[in-house]
Amino acid sequence: MSYKKRVKRAGALILAFVIGLTWMPMTADAYIPTNRDTKVNPERAEYTPEDFTDYTLLLETGTVRYYYREDRDIIAVEDKESGYCIKTGADLPFSGDIKDAVKELKRNGASDEEILAAAESYADDLNTTYVGIANSLITIEYYESDKIKYISSASEEDAASTLSPVEGRDGVYRLDVDFSKPDIHLKLYITFKESSISYEIPYSEMSGQDLYKLASVDITPFLGASGGRMNVMNAETMEFETVDSYRVPGYVFVPDGSGSLIRFVHNSAAFNPYVGDIYGKDYATEMYYDYTYLDDVPVKEPVMPVFGIAHGDGQMAFAAWAEKGAEYMEIIVNPDGAKGTSYTWAYPRFEYNINYYQLYDEKGSGFFTQMDEIFQHDICMTYEFLFGDGSDGSPAADYTGMARTYRQYLLDIGELTLMPEEAGSDIPIRLDFIMADCESSIIGTHQVVVTTVDDVRDILDALTDAGITNINSGLIGWQKKGGNLITPAKMSFSRSIGSQAAFKKLFAEFGERGIEISFSRDMLTINREMTSYYNTAVKCISNWYLSIDKENILPANIPVTKFSYATPVKAAGWLEALADKVGSYSSALTVTEMGHVLTSNWSRNGVEMSLTESMELYRDTFEQVSSNMKINLENPNMYLWKYTDRYLQIPVGNSQYIYETDTVPFLQMVLHGTMELYAPYSNFSFYNQSAVLRMIDYNISPSFILSEEPSWNLADTFSANLYSTEFSLYEDMILDIYGQVNGVLSQVQGWEWTNRIVPQDGVVVNVYRSGGQERYVIINYTEAEVEYHGNTAAPESAAVFG
Amino acid sequence: MRIHKKWKNIFLLLTAAWMMWYPVIQSNANQTTSYTYAEDGDGHYVRTQDAYLPDMTLTELGLSAAEDVFIDENNMIYIADTGNRRIVKYDINKGQIDGILESSEFSAPRGVYVTSDGTIYVADSGSKAVLIFAPDFTLIDKLTKPDTPIFADTNYEPKRIAVDSGGSIYLIGEGVYNGVIQLARTGEFLGYFAVNHAKLTFSQMLQQMLFTRDQLANLVDINPTVFTNVFVDNSGIVYTATSGTHRNGMKKHSTNGGNMFKSDVWSLDTLTDLYVDQNGLIYTCSSEGYIVIYSRNGEEIFEFGSYVTTVDIAGLFTNLVSIAVDMDGNIWALDGSKSYLQSFKPSDYAQMVYNAMNLYEEGRYEEAMRQWNEVLRLNQMSVLAHDGVGKAYLHAQEYERALEHFEVANNKPYYSEAFWEVRNAWLQKNLGKILLVLILVIVLYQVLKMLDKKHGRMAAVKMRIKKWTDRTPVIRDFAYALHMPRHPVNDYYEIRKNRRGSVMAATIIYALFFIDFMAFKTCKGFIYQYTAVEDMDIASIVIGFFLILGLFIICNYLVTSINDGDGTFRQIYLIPAYGMMPVMIALLAVTVFSYGMTYNESFLLTIILIIGVAWSTITIFLGLQTVHDYTVREMIKSIVLTVIFMIIAAVIGIIISIMWDSLYNFLSSVGKEMIQNVL
Repeated sequence: MSYKKRVKRAGALILAFVIGLTWMPMTADAYIPTNRDTKVNPERAEYTPEDFTDYTLLLETGTVRYYYREDRDIIAVEDKESGYCIKTGADLPFSGDIKDAVKELKRNGASDEEILAAAESYADDLNTTYVGIANSLITIEYYESDKIKYISSASEEDAASTLSPVEGRDGVYRLDVDFSKPDIHLKLYITFKESSISYEIPYSEMSGQDLYKLASVDITPFLGASGGRMNVMNAETMEFETVDSYRVPGYVFVPDGSGSLIRFVHNSAAFNPYVGDIYGKDYATEMYYDYTYLDDVPVKEPVMPVFGIAHGDGQMAFAAWAEKGAEYMEIIVNPDGAKGTSYTWAYPRFEYNINYYQLYDEKGSGFFTQMDEIFQHDICMTYEFLFGDGSDGSPAADYTGMARTYRQYLLDIGELTLMPEEAGSDIPIRLDFIMADCESSIIGTHQVVVTTVDDVRDILDALTDAGITNINSGLIGWQKKGGNLITPAKMSFSRSIGSQAAFKKLFAEFGERGIEISFSRDMLTINREMTSYYNTAVKCISNWYLSIDKENILPANIPVTKFSYATPVKAAGWLEALADKVGSYSSALTVTEMGHVLTSNWSRNGVEMSLTESMELYRDTFEQVSSNMKINLENPNMYLWKYTDRYLQIPVGNSQYIYETDTVPFLQMVLHGTMELYAPYSNFSFYNQSAVLRMIDYNISPSFILSEEPSWNLADTFSANLYSTEFSLYEDMILDIYGQVNGVLSQVQGWEWTNRIVPQDGVVVNVYRSGGQERYVIINYTEAEVEYHGNTAAPESAAVFG
Repeated sequence: MRIHKKWKNIFLLLTAAWMMWYPVIQSNANQTTSYTYAEDGDGHYVRTQDAYLPDMTLTELGLSAAEDVFIDENNMIYIADTGNRRIVKYDINKGQIDGILESSEFSAPRGVYVTSDGTIYVADSGSKAVLIFAPDFTLIDKLTKPDTPIFADTNYEPKRIAVDSGGSIYLIGEGVYNGVIQLARTGEFLGYFAVNHAKLTFSQMLQQMLFTRDQLANLVDINPTVFTNVFVDNSGIVYTATSGTHRNGMKKHSTNGGNMFKSDVWSLDTLTDLYVDQNGLIYTCSSEGYIVIYSRNGEEIFEFGSYVTTVDIAGLFTNLVSIAVDMDGNIWALDGSKSYLQSFKPSDYAQMVYNAMNLYEEGRYEEAMRQWNEVLRLNQMSVLAHDGVGKAYLHAQEYERALEHFEVANNKPYYSEAFWEVRNAWLQKNLGKILLVLILVIVLYQVLKMLDKKHGRMAAVKMRIKKWTDRTPVIRDFAYALHMPRHPVNDYYEIRKNRRGSVMAATIIYALFFIDFMAFKTCKGFIYQYTAVEDMDIASIVIGFFLILGLFIICNYLVTSINDGDGTFRQIYLIPAYGMMPVMIALLAVTVFSYGMTYNESFLLTIILIIGVAWSTITIFLGLQTVHDYTVREMIKSIVLTVIFMIIAAVIGIIISIMWDSLYNFLSSVGKEMIQNVL
């Protein structure tokens, strides 16, 4: 096209733009953010310098001072620069003592001054047990007649704790916690570093006659908590009156989905706590052996053992992660209103015993019981404190700083490795293919083929011809009848899909062109049509085979509706076997389910394989397999990140708990540049402009699932939820979405993502850094043009500056 | 060429301008919290693309035990905040509270309705009145209990309210079983607008028939299902919600109170509220947290939601009490237990479905087809879309393409209609050729017949066949079955005398009949294959087939043995087989013809089937009568007894099976308990 023509075309488009603008409604509504967005930073927290009269200075570093209050078991961490302080406990007195003292003074006719001096303010909405919990460094939960009870290290009765330095280890203290009812004793090792505290509880040093009753250990339940309601003595009336405590502006960060913030707000409703079961639930130790999918979408389980709390606008925060015991860890957040308190408090809970239903028969007769021996695992939690807004290049005291800190920790211990990325190169795209599945027939099942090997070739050719070259693909349903009724490693091919030779040829042909195609397979989900459960299916703690009922979410006439998971040993064996069989001609393998489902396995004799052992087995297996193949995993847990080359189906939202106020790309910030990250399939509710912007915002690559034939052929198969996959419908959309996302993200390929700023609702600015240079990606979700530092971004678009 | 390029540029310009003006549809990624279901072609609920995504959650309004929500034309939400004795007015566009209506008259304001002029009607069950406020919140009127004598004994505690454009007020009253209370604007009682009738269960009917008056008096009162809510749409049509039933719980009323829906409408059984938007779409909700959306004709479009108690997730409710829909199509739902408002934004998919339905309703078939095709792009399994595209093709007289879509949508009546057109066109095109072939066949037959008369070659062929069949008894005995229907009495007499028929031939006939029967059940043409093969319980059909046949033979033998029947077991085994040829031919004919027939010709298939069944029944009847040497009366008696015996045998079989199951479970439980606790 000549220059003149180009000018004319540009002029025409500008004119159209102007006409469009004049037609646009003149009063565009303000962007009202939902909890799927990230809102602007909290306000600055107000504070006065803390009085440490009742505290002992334990340690002073270049950054912080650590204090300890012996009578309440509280550690205070003071930022030396600002004087801001975060305490491990709420620092509350027991109300009974105060009330008695005041009553006594009044009875004795004491002066107002004397009464006021004795009338320390006390919590209005916490009973004695909760005051102990709110102060404590350690709280335990224990079973008494199938019910869970709490007792804390700072409890008024039945508990004693002593802090003492550990000889020969600088900055290490030991808190001996002795509970008399129940009789449980444990040692908490506390290590103070420059700006972090680590808590370690070795299993070997737990003791006591009632140790078997131990349900969980909760560490510093009220660290950084906000809210509360106090009874304060009124100097005029000389009576206690209830006053709401200062609610610190800030939030709790939880690893729900991509990451979620729970801001400190007052709720009028009493909500249930947030419970994030790290690495997902262990189906084998759930209360019942059978699990049924209902109409609600399962919540997103945390894939990493990290959480944090931030106070104010870049003032002080901490990121906390588990170094040991993560597989038994839950992150609990009680939003304001939960459990009858007006605090928002968050803590890690490490499980040791569980309540489960022991069945006799299929009718459901049985009883509730607990294990005779508790889970045997150590605990190690590290809390890294963060200060400032990050303008000096250090991690900010907000979720971005938490992400950078946690990422650095993973890089330091070798769980993450930076991926060599060529600056300015095209981003990758993931194109999966659904090839075949099966449906019920008059006798047995019938194969439904929607994509053949030749179709895959034609589709990939069409897209490479259109200019997309950085492609990788997974083939789903490559086995005979799609493989849902065949064990994972069985090399059973159907000529109507493609012979093994045809697959080999396809892999080789595209491998030479730099397009990696891999078999995709679920190594865990099994059914009785596929294999006998004997020695194959996970046995639950009740000694029954795990049963997962999907009848509600599958078509009515599906061949199988009840499923189970393979034992970790079996799944690992299948993975190795399949990798062996295809290793000679495939340079990659795509594994679903196994990456984010972790179960133990039980027998009549007790635990056959614990969660820790399962995790280690998976790590060993993937380490072996990844030595000569690239591993593509669907939403993998942290312990497999070391072996993951492509992270598929990365969450871009959270579970939408009502009290979650923001969604943040924490997971993406942690993993950025260490592996390729792919969005959920754009086919399903992820195709419009806001979704494209979300991909750019979260720095993830698009992915699609495709077929040659219309997907209504799959209506009666296990793949009935693939509502639309036909390539001819998606060709233009693939080119369009890839073009938009690549247009922006290719400009920051190979750059480090250092910050994420929300200057106003609906606008996000991602900051990237490379060799001392900064680049800004402005993502404008609003319907109005926005300006940031003199740079503008058009409505509903993204732009790169710098 | 230049002109062409110029037009192209103008087109580009206009397109770009249009795109700028056209509102961008918003939706967010993968953020649904419950699955959306729609009916598939077979009437099963299947998962479908997300229709609504949870959007805003308003927990900060400070509501307490709120019960009702209404949205006016200005996108203002009115919430009956019952626990706080107030009405909260919330501005959706600004995202903030616009005003709070407090009144000393409020005791328990439980229902709210706002008319187009801004007048606010509040149903207050505590103060037992309808309170009417001006848009500026000043009290205009208070309607207390009407003083009409016929209303004197009725409880008057209004809890839900709706008002039509004529000023009539419709009330749902606490504990009122008579129906929807209709008041004039002045407060005068106009009558019960709609009534639910009490429906008796079978046991209640028996009780009514058998119990004495005293016994009946001791029973719990049988009341009709109660109305839970009422709504008046912008065209003045009244809708009601009734809980406690899955059938017709949601009704659209004509002016005399009758139900305008022609066919039964499935509804949620804990229905708490319903709402109708400007397009006539009907939204209902249940206390268990489900929301169902219907078309204006009562066809179900989407269902979503779920009941949860232990987690608090946007879009899932513990007690969903009320819904309303704003001017942008967003649903606002009120949780009564935790008193917060949750909005749902329609996805692109849902909006496209609604647009397509509206376009079709307006008769804009081509545009509707385009929109339906867009829907199909997002969900190729959408029955609604396939149905919509099919209908649009039907209107456009593109019958072949319509057939494809009606087949996926399993819309048999429309498929039949399109097929009639396709067949008609084919017949018109090929009628000449068909007639020609027919004439040729007839002429050829006649010519061959004449030639055969001359040379007699066919007689030799027939002889050879006869000799072959005579040498092969099974073939002969099988061929005898073809003769039987025409001469049943004589032929069965031959069987009685054991001169004809063999067990082997009868077994082959049974096997063939089974194959024929299965073909009839599973292989009919699309229009007449009412149940898809994959939906059939093949095992039950097979077992049922052989069980009924076997039971009939055995029971008939047992019954006739003690009733002077002469037939042997062998003869009783042979007779049904030899009498089945007519029904076999009928089944085969129906199976074959079903491929070429539309619903217009269904009577032909019915007649064929009736003739076949009747003929076989009569033949078998006569056969049994002949072998047992019974009179007609004795024969009927023996058949009745046989059927009774069959039922008894089936019942005994079921009892044994249940007992065996219990025994097995008992032994298994003991075993497992031993393993668990002893070993």
